[in-house]
Amino acid sequence: MKILAIYSNKGGVGKTTAAVNLSFLAAEAGLKTLVCDLDPQSSASYYFRVKPKLRANAKGFHKGGKNINKSIKGTDYENLDILPADFTHRNLASTFNKLKRRKRRLNRILDPLRAEYNLIVLDCPPSISLLAENIFNVADYLLVPVIPTTLCLRTHLQLLSFLKKKKYDTNKVYAFFSLVDRRKKMHKEFIATISREFKGTLHKSIPSLSNIERMGINREPVPAFSPTSQAAKYYRVLWQDVKATLLD
Amino acid sequence: MNMSLLDGRDGRKIIGDLAKYYSLRQEQPSAKSFGIYDTFDWRLFEKSLVLYSSEDELILHRLSDYKIVHHAKVSSFPNFVWDFPDGSLKTLLAPILEMRRLLKLAEIHSQSTIYRILNKEQKTVVRLRYEEIRRVNQARKPMFCAHLHVEPIRGYPRYYRKTIGRLGKLGFVQIEPETIYFEALKERNKTPGKYSSKLKLQLQPEMRSDEAAKIILRSLFRIMKVNGTYIGKDLDTEFLHDFRVAIRRTRVALSQIKGVFPVDTTKKFQREFAMVGKLSNELRDLDVYLLKENAYKKMLPDSLRDEINPLFEFLKNKRSRVLEDVKNGLSSRESTKVFRTWENFLDEPPEGSPTAPNAEVPVVKLARKRIRKRYTEILSTGAQILEAANDEKLHALRIECKKLRYLMEFFSSLFPDKKISILIKELKGLQDNLGNFNDLYVQQAYLLKTVDELPLSDDQAKKMTLAIGSLIGNLEERTQMVKGSFSEIFARFASPTHRGLYHELFVTTKGKAGP
Repeated sequence: MKILAIYSNKGGVGKTTAAVNLSFLAAEAGLKTLVCDLDPQSSASYYFRVKPKLRANAKGFHKGGKNINKSIKGTDYENLDILPADFTHRNLASTFNKLKRRKRRLNRILDPLRAEYNLIVLDCPPSISLLAENIFNVADYLLVPVIPTTLCLRTHLQLLSFLKKKKYDTNKVYAFFSLVDRRKKMHKEFIATISREFKGTLHKSIPSLSNIERMGINREPVPAFSPTSQAAKYYRVLWQDVKATLLD
Repeated sequence: MNMSLLDGRDGRKIIGDLAKYYSLRQEQPSAKSFGIYDTFDWRLFEKSLVLYSSEDELILHRLSDYKIVHHAKVSSFPNFVWDFPDGSLKTLLAPILEMRRLLKLAEIHSQSTIYRILNKEQKTVVRLRYEEIRRVNQARKPMFCAHLHVEPIRGYPRYYRKTIGRLGKLGFVQIEPETIYFEALKERNKTPGKYSSKLKLQLQPEMRSDEAAKIILRSLFRIMKVNGTYIGKDLDTEFLHDFRVAIRRTRVALSQIKGVFPVDTTKKFQREFAMVGKLSNELRDLDVYLLKENAYKKMLPDSLRDEINPLFEFLKNKRSRVLEDVKNGLSSRESTKVFRTWENFLDEPPEGSPTAPNAEVPVVKLARKRIRKRYTEILSTGAQILEAANDEKLHALRIECKKLRYLMEFFSSLFPDKKISILIKELKGLQDNLGNFNDLYVQQAYLLKTVDELPLSDDQAKKMTLAIGSLIGNLEERTQMVKGSFSEIFARFASPTHRGLYHELFVTTKGKAGP
C-alpha cells in the first residue's frame, strides 16, 4: 500500500486533474485505489459526480475509524473509490491543532484503510499549514505539479526549503510539469533548466489541452471519456512513469 | 445479488421498464465463451471450487459465493497441474488435482449487457449485468439460462435496496450465484460430485450377510464399469488405478466376507478377478514410475539429472505397447465373459434357503467377527516384527492391513461414525508406512532389472549406471528411514486406547451397534 499526495502550495496548477486521472489509470491497471478529496473546494468529488458532504459532521473525518468507512463512495469505475470532500475540511487544520499528536492525525485517519487499498491518492488543498504537515507525514511520495513559470518555480523552491527547515525528507518530493504550453519558448527553457537542477523531477509533462478542461463538463476522467485522445496519452505516460519510479 | 426470471419472459425488456423510475444507461453488449473444467472425480467441486477458462485466461471461482480465488494467463489450456504456469494458482491446485486430468465438462457462451442506474448527478449508483447463457455461440439460438447480477455501488445502499425491490415486483427472483454452473452441467446431463472412488454404502445391521455382500460388490462393480470404459482413452492414470482398486476390493470382499455364497461360486470369481487384475499389473507399474519422474530427478545431483532421461524414454515407449495389450486383454472374450457372468450373479435375487453357512447371519455379527480376526492377526504379526525386523513379515503385514482396511470400509456404516473413522485413520497411518517401505523396496529392484533392458551405447550406459546407482542409494536411505519409524507408528496403532476402541466396536455386543 502506497500513499501518494498530489500536492502544491499554489492553486490552479492541475493537482485535481492529475489526482483524478492518475487514480483512474491506477484502478484500470488493477490497483484497488482510493482518492481522498482533502480540498474543501471538492473538485475531485465533483469530477466523480459525488456530492461533497455539506453537513458539519466534524466528528466523522478527523476521528477516522468506522465513520470514515461509511463516508467512502464507489465511483463509476471498477477498483476506484472516493472519500468525498467534507465541508468541515476548511477547518481541518484548526481542528487538528486542538488534538494530541496534531501533526500525525492523518496517519490515524488513513491507517484503517491500508488493508483495503493498494493505493491512496490524496488530492490536497493549496496551503502550507498544519494539514500540509499531516500530509507530509502520511504520504510515501509527494507529487507536485509545476507550471514552468517563474512564480511557480519560486513556490516550489519555497516548499523545498520549508521541508528542509522542518526536517522532512525532500527525497520523497517529485515534480512534474503541468499546463505546459509547448509553443512557448520560455516554457521549454524552464523545463530544461529545472530538469537539470532538481533531482526529483519526472521527465514527463502534461500539456495544456482542451480535453483536460473538458473534464469539468463531462465530469469524467479523460481516459474514460476520450481514451485515445492526446490528453489521455499524456496522462498514461505520466502514470507509467509514476508507477515505475514510485510504486514498483 | 443474482436474480433470474422464473418463466421465459424477456429480461431485457423488463430491465428497460426500470427506466420509468430511474435514469438508465445501457452499454454495448459483450460476448464471451467459457469452458467449465473439473477432474473426472470432481476434485474441484468437492473443494467447492470451479475452474473456468476463457481464451487465454483461467479463472478459479469459489462455488459458495462465486468470488474469484485466483486467475492466470496461459498460452494453451493446461491439462494437468504440471502444465500450469508457476504461481499461486498452481500452488493451490497441485495438492487437489494431483495426477488427474482436467476435463471440459461444458462450454457456455455468455452475452452480457451492462445497465447503469444513475442518480440526478448522472452518477452510477447501481450496476446491473444481464447475462444470457447459451450452449452455442449464436445470439439467435435459445438460451438455457438468463441471469441478472445486481451490483451495489459503495455508499449508495438505498438505491440498491430499492432496485432489488422493483426488480422483484417486475418478476425477478433471487437465485444462488452458482446457478449458472449447475444449469450448464444439467444441460449436459452431468451431476457434480456424482462419481467418487470412495465407497458410500448404507448397510443395516440386521440385514442378511449375503444381501449386504451383494450391495458392497454391486457398488464396486459400478466403479469398475465406469472406469473401465475410460482406460482405453488414456486420459490419465487414475481410471486404471480406480478400476484396479475396485477389482482388488472385490477380491478381498470375496475372500474375507466368508461363507455367504456357495464355495464354488466364490472360488470361481476369485480366480477370474485375479486373472483380470493381473492383465494391467505391468501398466500400473509403468504409470507409477512415470509419475515419479520429477521426484526421481530431484533425488539426483544436478550433474546426473539428464542422464536418466533415456530410462524414462524407454518406459514411455514400453508403456504405449503395454497399454495396447491391456486394451486388448480387457476387451477379450474371456474378460467380457467374466464381467457378464459377474453382473448376472449380482442381479440374482437372494436364495430362499441358502446353503452357505453365513448367508443368513445378520451382517453386523459377521462384520465384527471378520474385523476382529484380522485385527488380532495384525497385532501378532506386528509384535513379531518388533522383536526381529524382517522384510518378508513387513510385506505380509502390509497385505493383512489392506484386508482389514477394506473390511472396515465395507462395513463402516454399521458402526458409530466417529469411532470407526479414528480407527481407519490410525490404520491408514500404519499402511502408509508399510506402503512406503514396500514401494521403495520394489522400486530398487525394478530399476536394477530395467537398466539391463535399456538399449544404450557404452558411454550412455556408464552415465546411466551412475545415475541409477545414485538413485538406488537414495531410495535405500529412505527405505531404512521408513523401516526405522515402523516401531513408533505401530506402537500408536496398537496403543491401549485404540485396542479399547476395537474391543468396544468389534468384540463386546453390549451396546447395540449402529451409528
